[in-house]
This record gives sequence, C-alpha cells and structure tokens, in this order.
Amino acid sequence: MRDVDGRRLTFHLAGINNQNFLMRDQETGSYWQQISGAAISGPLKGRQLTLVLSDELTFRTWKAEEPEGTVLKEVPRYASEYEAKDWDVRMGRRPAVIQFPEHGMQSRDLILGIRTSDASRAFLYERVIQEKLVKSYVGAQPVLIVVGPDGQSVRAFRDQVPGENAVPDFYRLTANKPGVLMMDAATGSEWNFQGCAISGKAKGACLERTPMLKDYWFDWRNYNPKTTIWGNSTR
Amino acid sequence: MNSMQRSDGTRWTLVLLACLAVSLALVAYPLYVIRPFRAQGARELTVALMVSRFAPLLTAVSALAAVVAAIACWRTQASLLRRVFMAASAMLVCVLAVLARVNVFEAVMFHPVEHPAFAAAQDVKLDDNDKLIVVKIHGSARAYPIREMGYHHVVNDVVGGTALAATY
Repeated sequence: MRDVDGRRLTFHLAGINNQNFLMRDQETGSYWQQISGAAISGPLKGRQLTLVLSDELTFRTWKAEEPEGTVLKEVPRYASEYEAKDWDVRMGRRPAVIQFPEHGMQSRDLILGIRTSDASRAFLYERVIQEKLVKSYVGAQPVLIVVGPDGQSVRAFRDQVPGENAVPDFYRLTANKPGVLMMDAATGSEWNFQGCAISGKAKGACLERTPMLKDYWFDWRNYNPKTTIWGNSTR
Repeated sequence: MNSMQRSDGTRWTLVLLACLAVSLALVAYPLYVIRPFRAQGARELTVALMVSRFAPLLTAVSALAAVVAAIACWRTQASLLRRVFMAASAMLVCVLAVLARVNVFEAVMFHPVEHPAFAAAQDVKLDDNDKLIVVKIHGSARAYPIREMGYHHVVNDVVGGTALAATY
C-alpha cells in the first residue's frame, strides 16, 4: 500500500541496491527498498509499507477465477520493447553481484520465499513445480504450497483448516475433476486452487493465505540471512 | 594588468574550479555507486543516497558561485583564453546543476507508466500461459502482466479503493 501517515505516495524506480530495486517517492524524495518495503533514506526513513497479498498466476488460471477482472494495458509507446514472457528465467542468466554459495544453491536459483514473524524459508521453485503439493513448516507455522491446475501458478496457505484441530493432511488428487485440486484426509473434503473446500465436511471453509515471494536465491538470502531451504536435497 | 588584478583573477579561477570539482563529485558519485551489476556496500549506498538528496540544492549554489566567479574574473581584464575557459567552466557547472535533478533510472533506463489504463480480462489479447501478478481487494481483481512489469517495474494504482504500488 502506498498511503503512509495519511499521505498518498507515488513511486518511481530510482536506483538499485545489490540488484534489488530502489523506489523513490516523488512527494518526499525518500528511497524505499523494493523487497522489504522499508524506507532506507530520506525524510520517511524507517517507515514501512504494508504488503498487499498478491499471486503470480497464468492468464488462463486468473481469467477463469476472475472473469470480471481488469488488466494493465500496454503503453503503446513502449510495447515493442517489452520483455519476453520468461523474464525471470532470462534474467537468471545474468551475473549476480553478491554470492551466497551455501547448501549447493546457485545465486540465480529461483525460489519461493515465505517469511513469518520468527522464521523464513526458501522453497526451490523447480522442485515445488515437480512436487505440485508441498507440506512444510516455516518456523512454527505449518504451510501448504500448491501448484495450480496449469502446472505453473503457485499459492501458499496456512496448513490448517479453520475451526479444525486435526492436521488436515492434504493430498493431491490425480483424477482430472474440474475445479478440484486436492483432498484432506481429516475431513475427506475436496479443495480448489483458491484454498476453499467445495465438498465434504469442510465445505465452505477457506484456508488462510500465506504471502509468498518468487525471488532469486541471492536476493532472498541477502534479506533473510537465517533462512532455511526446502528442496535442494537432491543436489 | 596590475598584480592585484592578476591575483584576483587567479582567486576567482580557483573558486570556479572548486565549484566545478564539487558539482562534478555531487553528480558523479551517486551514478558511480548506484549502478547496475555493481555490488553496493551499505555505507557507500547511504552516502550516495544522501548526496542524491542534497545534490540539487548544492549544485545550484555551486552554479551561482561559478557564474559570479566567471563574471568577476571577466572584469579583471584577464586574457581572452582565460575568459573563455571561465565562461565554459561556469556553463558546465550550470549543466551539472541541471543533471543533479535528473534520476537516470527514472528518466533514461526505465520508463514509468504515467497514466495506467486497464482493460477487461475478456478483452485483452494475452497467451494462456502469460504470467500475471494479481491482486484482489474488496472484490476488485487486477492483473499486471509480467511482460509489462519486467519493463516498467513499478505501477502506481488504486484497486478496490486501496492505493498500492505494484512492483516487479
């Protein structure tokens, strides 16, 4: 969100800090770190932007979920210069200026990062896509990462059915039933990619969403020095 | 030219050269530190951002001082060569004062979406596998195609009554 202390800020891309962008607000001239939303220089230094929950989805998946949604139009003047659709993979071939060669990780490995109040964990993107459903913990919080029906979109949830004490123990359904992605052993309910039960005892319940950031390893590790890693065991 | 005038001319020349050096440093240091594919140390970044913040004011003062020095030197009946040098240097300091107001990331390297416009999901021509950053706030769903965000990187928007900056 870009309202800070009752003031609406307008951001511009204005610099770079170890390959993570710096944004500048035109109202005060303060500089903000892209990954953290923290003001690091200027009159608003120390202030923090509130993160808005977002997803990275394919157009097909999003349009099916949100047929009334709206999409940012191209700016005709620059459209011919737009990036290829696999921008993150292409950028992955560029050098990184800081290195954290730990646990067999490469600087430009794509990860899905989850951060809680007391811990952070990086899930290797390619392994998540392979596994399609990942049950893990970030600190004390149980998390469930689910790959969508398109095999590319990914969402994260708190791995706990609201109002239920039992561990849900989700498993992925292989049968191609439209709109159904997984079932939980505790209630026998069917769940969709939005994290909502559409049949069974839990019908109508929705899992709590967990913010997740797709990032390169070096960038995530730079801002989460105590991060643990999931999915690099085969390296 | 008497010796006092010669001494004044030298003094004004030194003032102008100092202005030139200060303005050059104020403009060049942030450009040097905050450039892509270079590791930024925490301390040098802090200094570079601080310099960026105050450079517009300081280079303006420097430009004013440089112009005054050039005019004063001109009046000392200095040689034509020195006068031309002083005039050119003063102009350069003025140019640096203008450059200190330009953020190369904003003006040259990355082009902002000044007036974001939106189309209905059913009307846009995207491939099924095009990736989007999506948000949903108070029932309003908005999507930012990564092909566009990988170019513009920041979009200032209001979705469902909430002002946000989408960044990639």
